[in-house]
Amino acid sequence: MFGSLIYAARRSVRNMRQSPFLCGAAVGTVAVSLSILALFAILALNVQELTRHWSEEIQVTVYMDVPPQEEALGEWIEKIEGYPEVEKVSYVSRGEAFDRFRERLSEDADLLEGLEPDILPASLGIGLKENFRNRAGAETLIEKLRENPSFSDFRYGQEWLERFETFADMLQMIVTVLGGFLLFATLFIVSNTIKLTLYARREELEVMALVGGTPLFIKTPFLLEGALQGTLGGLMALAGAFVFFELFLLEGLAALPFFSGLYGIIFLPGSHQLLLVLSGTTLGLFGSFISLRKFVRI
Amino acid sequence: MIQIYNVFKSYQKDSAALEGISVKIPKGDFVYITGPSGAGKSTLLKLLYGAEKPNRGQILVNGQNITRMRSARIPILRRCLGIVFQDFKLLTRRTVFENVSFPLEIQGRKRYEISKKVYQALKTVGLEHKLNRRPLELSGGEQQRVAIARALVVEPLVLIADEPTGNLDPQVTLEIMELFKGANARGSTVLIATHDREMIRRFPRRVISLDGGRLVGDRTPETFSVPRG
Ligand SMILES: Nc1ncnc2c1ncn2[C@@H]1O[C@H](COP(=O)(O)OP(=O)(O)O)[C@@H](O)[C@H]1O
Ligand SMILES: [Mg+2]
Repeated sequence: MFGSLIYAARRSVRNMRQSPFLCGAAVGTVAVSLSILALFAILALNVQELTRHWSEEIQVTVYMDVPPQEEALGEWIEKIEGYPEVEKVSYVSRGEAFDRFRERLSEDADLLEGLEPDILPASLGIGLKENFRNRAGAETLIEKLRENPSFSDFRYGQEWLERFETFADMLQMIVTVLGGFLLFATLFIVSNTIKLTLYARREELEVMALVGGTPLFIKTPFLLEGALQGTLGGLMALAGAFVFFELFLLEGLAALPFFSGLYGIIFLPGSHQLLLVLSGTTLGLFGSFISLRKFVRI
Repeated sequence: MIQIYNVFKSYQKDSAALEGISVKIPKGDFVYITGPSGAGKSTLLKLLYGAEKPNRGQILVNGQNITRMRSARIPILRRCLGIVFQDFKLLTRRTVFENVSFPLEIQGRKRYEISKKVYQALKTVGLEHKLNRRPLELSGGEQQRVAIARALVVEPLVLIADEPTGNLDPQVTLEIMELFKGANARGSTVLIATHDREMIRRFPRRVISLDGGRLVGDRTPETFSVPRG
């Protein structure tokens, strides 16, 4: 068993040496298809990162007409922090609210001259846990908060959140559809290229069967070859995507106003890189497998 | 060695390539299968090595019923056959040596054993000095000898050849026939499909005649070699 695997490996190396052009074509096809897929993944990843970043802004603000007693306030905060949706609670007193307002007005701050700091209500800013940073999460939390009669008004940027969610949903759909389509197209192209390489060796496949080669024995070198070419293509796609990323994407994307909120454009993380190379292996293996069924008949 | 019982084969509806063939070929026999073009000679051979399946009837090779054989067993059957194809089926991108070693490699033989046997087989056909050539650099007769060496290298129980002297000149035909006789002497059962009357006349052996897919004659050398008139 081990011996025949070595034999198969030796044969696939010889095959590739004998037809370097076809071998190169197969590797090249995988490399090109997968780099497109990789670049697409980088784009999708960064957009996802961006929406995650945006969603950090989502918080529920509770306004209180009457400034709370310190003791009661401590109790409320403790209770709210006990809710499963809540990440953190921060209190903004009337004074702080006034100061912030003035800061935001900066140059026009003199407009506030003569006003008492108690024109603005005190409030609680409630940050949500990541899973609850959506309309449903905010609404359920507000339902619970209503039990406290001292809380007079609740805000969470309904309209903004609505638009944001529509956008995120659409993005998710585009990524899924386009990614699936790309993967399918890649498999199609790769399996056809491999079919071409098998077509060039059809006489060899035929003779092997006629002199008593078992289907497994005949197929193994070609499967190995496909896997090897696929892996090579995957590695090249990774390298290609990285070069393209460094040269163009890093600055190109950052220059778009759309991405300006992000701290930095990111490349594929390690797990995705491994996945990319393994997709190459799988593509090559699977592409060979489905093509071989057409050519190896006993 | 080979038993064929009432075999029918048709490729298309209402045109039979073989109709009701029954033949027994004992171990060590040397048999010609003859008949005009389209008689069904190649078809009969293909049934023997499992490249085609009969529509009806049974075929036994070396005691195994190949019509009932699972397709996974067919490769095992082929390993005890040596087949010389009408179009040679040599691999043009491989050397003579690689071509002849192919069946042994597929059986997973050891490398030194392969080298020894391949060299021996090439020596038998007189091509040991051309083992690094590629088939297309050889003459037709030489290519045929490579094909025969590939069939002989496995020391086959049955040697099957389809029109082995098809386009070869008489001198080369003579050499080729010597190779088959040698293989037969070493114990292989030999089956040759041919329409070359001259060959049969010079090397009289058992002749099975087909015509239009039917068996029309089966003569042993004694009756064959009796001068007519
Ligand atoms: N693969 C095939 N498909 C359809 N018909 C075939 C095929 N092979 C042979 N035949 C037909 O079967 C008959 C016998 O052919 P064949 O066995 O090649 O005869 P021979 O070898 O005696 O010339 C012929 O009529 C031929 O046309
Ligand atoms: Mg024929």
